[in-house]
Order: sequence, then C-alpha cells, then structure tokens
Amino acid sequence: MSDDAELLERIRNGATDDFAELIRRHQSRVFAILHRYERDAHKVEDLAQEAFLKAWRALGQFDGRAPFEHWLSSITTRVALDHLRKEKRRQNEIGLPELGDDALDWLRSGDEQSELDARSAAELLELAMRELSPTDRVVITMQELEGRSVKEIAAATGASGVAVRVRAMRARSKLKRALEKLAGHQPSGAKMEK
Amino acid sequence: MDNRKLKRLFASARGETAPAPPEDFAADVLRAVRHEPPLAAPGTISIFDQLNLWFPRLALAASAVIVLCVAADYGLTAAGVPSLSDGVSQLSSQWLLTPTGL
Repeated sequence: MSDDAELLERIRNGATDDFAELIRRHQSRVFAILHRYERDAHKVEDLAQEAFLKAWRALGQFDGRAPFEHWLSSITTRVALDHLRKEKRRQNEIGLPELGDDALDWLRSGDEQSELDARSAAELLELAMRELSPTDRVVITMQELEGRSVKEIAAATGASGVAVRVRAMRARSKLKRALEKLAGHQPSGAKMEK
Repeated sequence: MDNRKLKRLFASARGETAPAPPEDFAADVLRAVRHEPPLAAPGTISIFDQLNLWFPRLALAASAVIVLCVAADYGLTAAGVPSLSDGVSQLSSQWLLTPTGL
C-alpha cells in the first residue's frame, strides 16, 4: 500500500477517488480531535466533513515538510476553534447538559483515590470548559487531553510559545474555579450561573 | 480543586473513546469534493503567473535597450558622426523631400 506522499501525488495529478483512501486513513484521528470539543456525534460528523473539505481545498499548499497527519490535525483544530467561537455566541440560547450524580459526587468528594469513569470525566470537563474562551479551551485540550507540545499548539493556534504557556496557565485556573462552582450545584440538571 | 484532582480528571477524560466514523463517511466527503473546483495540477501556471514571472526581466531588458540607444547616440555624436536626429533630417531633406523624391 502506498504512503500518504504517493497518494497525495496521485490526487494532485487528477485521481480524485484516491482522496477517499486518504480520508479512511485519517478519519479516526479527525473524529477523535473533534469529539474533544463537540459531544454531539452528528455535529462531529459535519465538522469532520468540513475539515476534510478544507484540506482538499488547501491541498495545493501542503508542501510535505511535515507529515500529512500533522497538517490535517492543524486544519481540524482550526475547524474546532471556529465551531467553538460560533457556539460561544449561541451559548446562552442552549441548555447545558445534565450532569450525572457520579460526576458531582466525585467532584465534591475529598477522597484522593476515587476514580471517575472516562465518559463522566469528559462530560464534567466539557461543562466546565464552557467557562473558557474558545482559544483557551483549544490550548488546554491540546495540552492536557491530546498531549501536544507547546510548539504544536502554537502552530495550530497561530500564537507564540509564550502566549500558549500563559493561556494554558490561565485556562487551568479558570477551569479549577469553574469546577469548584459546579461542585456547589445541585445534582440534577446542573446548570452554571453566568 | 487542587492540581492533583484536576490532573486525575484529565487522565480519566483521556480514556474516553471517540465515536467511530460512519461506514460511508469517506464516500460522503468524496461526493462533496466532486462539487468543488478541480485542483490545479502541479506545474501548471496561469498566463498571469507567467507574466508576473517575466515582468521584472522584460522591464530590465527594455531599460537596457533604451540605455544602449542613448549611449550610442552620444558616442556617435562625439565621434563626429551625425546624431540620430540629424541623420534622420538629413535623409529626409536629401532623399525624401526633394522634388524628385517620393
């Protein structure tokens, strides 16, 4: 099976159908990135389609210096950032999801050893991260959930390394405050006061 | 909320699996791609790109020709050879504008 570079060469020479193979190779990663920012599976699919279309339109600008996967990840992160900005504008119009009792119990618990299941943890973070600006959210998600380096985050967000570090620190503090605020809420129908 | 608890929350959330892409996702994107304008083939550049590429060289070549002409005119005048304008007027008075001329 040919590598991404050969596949890209064929696509550039007119083999449009080969783009489907490129999508199949990278779709899981694109979905995984977008799921960090959007929990609705249908919206994730729409955003993934948008990311691949943007990649298609910009294919002529891909110079092959970095792996295609990194380039596509940056495009996907920018799609997620645009989505967060649009959602931020609509934030007051939509209801916040209900948070399970387990998540709130864990949040209030002083037990250092207790573990929270992955889904509840992700939902809890999703809710708390709504307090952050879209860029702060992308920075902290890339750093803490995707394990990306400051350099990678800077490249994806267009910020400097110093700005990324400052944003990450600020985002972490805001996140802690948001989680503390959530811990003070009633278990059913958790909604954050603005 | 201390740092350790926040780190544990991140660690737990990292374990969440993303939804799998639908079976026909690649085909759907490809259908959308077919509605897009075709990609420019590598190496093909438009006439405007070619003109942009050539313009500085053409401008330099034209300037060089002008400078060469002016220098030749001065040089020939200094050498006693009639200048270009004198030569043209001489030609026209001797050959073109005589009663037997054109």
